[in-house]
Amino acid sequence: METGANTDYYKKTAMFWSDMIAMMSSKPTTLSAVGPLRNLSSNLKKITNELTEANKEIVEFNNFLIEYYKQLADTWTGAQKEVSSKVTKVPQNEEGAEAYKRVWIDIFENNFTGLFDSKKFSENYNKLVSTELDLLKRWNTITDVMLKSANLPTKQEIEEIYEELHNLKIRITKLESSKKKD
Amino acid sequence: MSEKRFDPKLIGEFLNFSRHLAEAPMKVSVPHEVEIGSTQFDVVYKEDKMRMLHFKPLTEKQVRTPLLISYAIINRYHIFDIDPKKSWVKNLLEQGFDLYLIDWGTPSKIDKFLGFDEYVNRYLDNCVDFIRNESGVEKVSIQGYCTGGTLATVYAALHPEKVKNLIVTAPVIDGWKDTTVVSNIAKYFDADKLVDTIGNMPPEFIYYCFSILKPFEQGVEKYIKFLNNVDNEKFVDSFLKIEKWLDETPPIPGELFRQWIKGIYQDNLLIQNKMYVGNKHVSLDNLDMPVFTQVAVGDHLVSPECSMPLHYAISSTDKILKLYPTGHVGMIASSFSQKTVLPELGQWLKERS
Repeated sequence: METGANTDYYKKTAMFWSDMIAMMSSKPTTLSAVGPLRNLSSNLKKITNELTEANKEIVEFNNFLIEYYKQLADTWTGAQKEVSSKVTKVPQNEEGAEAYKRVWIDIFENNFTGLFDSKKFSENYNKLVSTELDLLKRWNTITDVMLKSANLPTKQEIEEIYEELHNLKIRITKLESSKKKD
Repeated sequence: MSEKRFDPKLIGEFLNFSRHLAEAPMKVSVPHEVEIGSTQFDVVYKEDKMRMLHFKPLTEKQVRTPLLISYAIINRYHIFDIDPKKSWVKNLLEQGFDLYLIDWGTPSKIDKFLGFDEYVNRYLDNCVDFIRNESGVEKVSIQGYCTGGTLATVYAALHPEKVKNLIVTAPVIDGWKDTTVVSNIAKYFDADKLVDTIGNMPPEFIYYCFSILKPFEQGVEKYIKFLNNVDNEKFVDSFLKIEKWLDETPPIPGELFRQWIKGIYQDNLLIQNKMYVGNKHVSLDNLDMPVFTQVAVGDHLVSPECSMPLHYAISSTDKILKLYPTGHVGMIASSFSQKTVLPELGQWLKERS
């Protein structure tokens, strides 16, 4: 089976069983659990879903990370080869050591700046960051589910309060400036 | 078989370096304990995390028009006053300028909604109004450095009636023409996703961008140079101050970062006169006041090609573009800036103040 089909299979299996368990246990849970635990059991499905989806992103993240280090390693090897070809005749004395250091730094600087300036680096790096952010989003959702279960304000709710405060500040500033004009 | 012989001087060098490496912790202060900034000031205005500093005068007579410095949104303002001998602030005070500086502060999560509108039309505008009231002048001179130069440019375009002179030092203007590594990352960056997921742009990401700018000169050579100079008090003092300054980067408010990446680097709205801030059109044609554009030829953070287009896009007839053979930081905090950049700026500004 291919990776995509594998992921789908595991996802479906996980969702099936978490749904089944939730259905089977819903009545006794409702009867026996009060407060946060009841919330947690009903939100278990969301957590399972997030974790299953995260698997796909972890694979993607790893691929971009491997490519990132590959680009760095290739550039390092290329630069080192260039250095070796240029410094074979440098004498082993104080001046020679200084010259070697200068050549080494210049060549490495040029090669790595070339890499960081390239489209391939920028594209891969940004995909890497983007997948990392996807994973973070999943983690945030899981945290929100847990916070909700504990009857605490979620990240999203805190954000809403921040936004509300921000808008209030704007309104106050406008009122203050119109009062000044009057 | 030939016997390999090493130059004794080379061995001496190596032993010396090892000695410095071992002795450095005893000889050098802990970087975080180093004091930066020496010129005295009062905090005359505060709003949210932002503060405006008013430096105490160093001359009896002062230039009539006050000068407000809009610092960048990356790192802290201390670079303008990091070392008394290389202090931008001290030099301007000695030239007789009445000097104010904006410290944007350290935004926290609650500040993630702050964007260009708040920075320009609220903070900067309120600072300018405060100075106008205090000094009894109609207009003030504004200098903006790096991203602070962009904010100052947008401000001057939206409120030209309050700006006597505009000085922009390495401003980020034409994002498409920027040839730096920073712009290469910014071109493909998903700012929406970062802001929606994290909120503010974290300092760690800014450190990453710094680290790939000149990885070997900045990341390797400068530390070798430092270790070779641990006995040189002046060198060590200057090195630690700069390192401490580099290490204190605040986060960037999420909304401002989003607008910056998309508006300046990806869509390049400012130079095309397509930018809107607080529903107001930012037209560079409104820049009819005297404008001094300072550009560093060796700038690897904001390339000269990115800053220079401002000079050609504005309507002002009294404008000057100066290219200096130095780098981004060298232009404001070096012996070169003391000898060349600041005297030229001071003279230009005095003639128009």
